[in-house]
Amino acid sequence: MSDVASALYGGAPDPADAGPTPVIRAVDLAKRYKLGKENFVDALRCAAFEVAEGEMVAIVGPSGSGKSTAMHLVGCLDSPDSGEVWLNGRRVDGLRGRALTRVRAHEIGFIFQGFNLIPTMNATENVSQAAEYAGLSRGAAAARARELLDLVGLADRAKHLPSELSGGQQQRVAIARSLVNSPKIVLGDEPTGDLDTVTSDEIVRMMRKINTDMRTTFVLVTHNPEVAAACDRTISMRDGAVIDQGYGA
Amino acid sequence: MRVIRNVFRRKLRAFLTIFGITIGVLSLVVMGAMTEKLTLLVNGGVRYYGDKVTVTSGASIGGLSTAPLTTNRIADIERVPGVARASASLGMLLDKELPTVSFGNIPTIGASDGRDKGYETFIVTMAQGRDLRLGETGKVTVGSDLVKKLNAQVGGTVTIRDKKFQVVGIAEKTLTAPDQTVMMSLRDAQDLYAEDLPAAVKQSLDPHRLATSFVVFVKPGKNPDVIARLINHELPDLKASGPTEFITQIVASLSTLNAIIIGIAMISLMVGGLSVINTMTMAVSERTREIGIRKAIGASNGAIMRQFIAEAAIIGMTGGLTGLVLGWMFTSVVNAAMEVSGTPLFLVTARLAVGSVLFATVLGVFSGLYPAWHAANLNPVEALRHE
Repeated sequence: MSDVASALYGGAPDPADAGPTPVIRAVDLAKRYKLGKENFVDALRCAAFEVAEGEMVAIVGPSGSGKSTAMHLVGCLDSPDSGEVWLNGRRVDGLRGRALTRVRAHEIGFIFQGFNLIPTMNATENVSQAAEYAGLSRGAAAARARELLDLVGLADRAKHLPSELSGGQQQRVAIARSLVNSPKIVLGDEPTGDLDTVTSDEIVRMMRKINTDMRTTFVLVTHNPEVAAACDRTISMRDGAVIDQGYGA
Repeated sequence: MRVIRNVFRRKLRAFLTIFGITIGVLSLVVMGAMTEKLTLLVNGGVRYYGDKVTVTSGASIGGLSTAPLTTNRIADIERVPGVARASASLGMLLDKELPTVSFGNIPTIGASDGRDKGYETFIVTMAQGRDLRLGETGKVTVGSDLVKKLNAQVGGTVTIRDKKFQVVGIAEKTLTAPDQTVMMSLRDAQDLYAEDLPAAVKQSLDPHRLATSFVVFVKPGKNPDVIARLINHELPDLKASGPTEFITQIVASLSTLNAIIIGIAMISLMVGGLSVINTMTMAVSERTREIGIRKAIGASNGAIMRQFIAEAAIIGMTGGLTGLVLGWMFTSVVNAAMEVSGTPLFLVTARLAVGSVLFATVLGVFSGLYPAWHAANLNPVEALRHE
């Protein structure tokens, strides 16, 4: 943890200081969004947190606390106004163009609340598209997609369009898509937000199993206390800052 | 396949946009086919007139003169220095009256005194039967476009200006004037021509000395334009035209006509292009969230741009192909209908067909450039938030 963050929020031991290099390191992130000519919102003020390899971490906090913004910055979908983002020991907040695309394709997988599958593509195509963006040929990407759909138990739904799948099945396709390029990190933005309790529980167990079996690091932004409880640790945010990294007192 | 599926997500809109391009390409193909036909006709003229001088009595178009000449003048012309040979020819309309609508390809009767043999380089060969023999009367060869009109077949007879002639040959297609020409002996043509002359003129002329023009071949190394000027100087009552005059008069006016025709077609295509821009902009707007997802899962700006350009190209190409097929069908139907009158209007050439589809595709690509660029440069976070 950075000195500033330590001074502000104190508490938790920093894995970066003692143990192996964290796979995610967010240092004093600030992000301001303009709402109008003179109107703006400070989505992040000075957010700092770290995630070690193989962890499954929840980010919680009230609406507007900056959870999703933090996830977008860590996921290289947006760049901070100030602060640093480190992924797998490499600083990525200044990356642009092809280098940025490569990070998104190879190092991070995304799972979204509304599943966000492409409606005209069947399950296999939705998964293989991400592999194709990472440079695999169409054939190799399709083969890899079938492997992943098998892993999430949807081998028999491979040719189905998203509209022909249940919410839980769609989210499993999204999980398969997030894993197709074997990223070390999977970021989930309210991954169970649109699911009922039973399905939500199923999806969390699936992510946990992948986390355990493949040592994939999961960072899940959630409002759901049960999802947070299923994670190793909960990072709490409020007013654009991390108030607790969840390492315990 | 994925690109095609994306294009047809909004079926009605896709079909309407494609229809816009189709209309543009249809007009390009139809108008283009007309100019192709005219161009070939004129190119044939350029080839024909390229090495010779045409002498008429005065105002004339393409050798069709209203005022008759007499073959006595051949000797005068051949005395002009640089002239190798002068040959009398007689041309007139196949039907006594001009068609109300014509695009330069009017059925005609042609005849020559045969003095051009060995000099004429523009040789029309026969597809069936044989060519006319010198002095052979009562016989004709028929241009390929007139076969249907005259119901001609080798060995059969045809009626021309109320007289019956035996068909000895049907000419090979040349895609220019001879396709719409019935060739007969000069004597037969002179008889037909004399019939139409006013009685006073008829009495003062020997019908078997009539000609409407002289084709003048120049000696090797001589410039036909220079010889034409020389003839005009030596024989001021005649009007000699060299190849340059033909080219400047006919070709220049054809170029203007072609430019106008193609210009009109282009305008309709441009309107089609604007509808592609509109469609693609709407597609980008509707699929903003999808673009955000694609970027989040690793799509580069280039990949997004290629995707939307490919969709625009598919719209352009589909519209182009449909327009080509419809245009080809339209021109074929009209040509088939016109075949009876011996004046096919259109010619869909390979370059026109390929060019139209290629142009429509390129137009699609260009029309898709801005929407695709806009899509590629969307901020992924804002795109993902888009509802």
